[in-house]
Amino acid sequence: MMADWMSLKWLLWISLYLVLGVLMPWATSLAWAHQHGSDLRPRPRQLFQRGELGLIGMVLVISVIWDLLRSPYMLQTRTLGAVLLGMAGTMAGAVWIEFYCRHSTGTVCSSERAWRDSRNLAFLVFSMATVVEILLDRFAKVAGQ
Amino acid sequence: MSAPAPARAESPRPTAIVRIADAGLIVACLSLAFGLLLVFFPVSFPRILLHSWQTGHLTMAMMVITLAVDASLYLRVTYRWSGRPTALAAACLGAMPILVAVGLSFLLQIVVSETVSTDMPNLQARVNEEILAHTYLGLVSGVFLPFLVIRLLQPLKAARSSRPA
Repeated sequence: MMADWMSLKWLLWISLYLVLGVLMPWATSLAWAHQHGSDLRPRPRQLFQRGELGLIGMVLVISVIWDLLRSPYMLQTRTLGAVLLGMAGTMAGAVWIEFYCRHSTGTVCSSERAWRDSRNLAFLVFSMATVVEILLDRFAKVAGQ
Repeated sequence: MSAPAPARAESPRPTAIVRIADAGLIVACLSLAFGLLLVFFPVSFPRILLHSWQTGHLTMAMMVITLAVDASLYLRVTYRWSGRPTALAAACLGAMPILVAVGLSFLLQIVVSETVSTDMPNLQARVNEEILAHTYLGLVSGVFLPFLVIRLLQPLKAARSSRPA
């Protein structure tokens, strides 16, 4: 059975993060290049090559944890979910921090690796956030009945 | 009679290095699959999980799934980087999914009994939602946590092995 369209508001919510966190910086860089008559045409991979996607993931996790902690789930479920989300967010953010530390100290660092790691972990955070929001939406309906 | 060929000195294969991003990708796919099942089968999928829990098969199923995913992911990593599997990683991957599944099963029992003991409306539906959430969190933690532990132990092990005797 398909869910009704009203229950797909989590899709709008996650799209907001994708648009404002990923597409907006990319579009802004293209707009800047157009305004300054530059040949710069950065791809998202180049724009987020220092692991910035991990930072966006960490920001996303904060809002999901906040929603989870205010939910009518039992305390144990809320705690478990918050800890797991927090760990995923921390690991995502750590990619950006590690790249910065390596770059600053002259230690070997690969932007290819930072991009791949941050992309995978940001994907993890986005998918976890989406499922948690779906679960929260379901529980809100149950609690509201 | 010809002289024996000199023994070829084989360089030992490096230890397989696990990156948390590899595990992250698999958990993300697993998570996405769970989410899609919830969206496209909002009634039948939770009902299957509830039935598995009532018959006592849910914990076992979670153990099997997480163990299979963990083992295949670790083998893929070792094959991809031509690394040598370590006993520590094998022990971690063998024990942690079972410990996580059993621990979360106990936690779920506590949550269900606490929910039932409250005086809230729509108790059965609340219990169903708690089971659904715990199943999801159990799957994610069963795959993600063993690799997180291995990843966190790797620098310690490397530092110990590089220390002069």
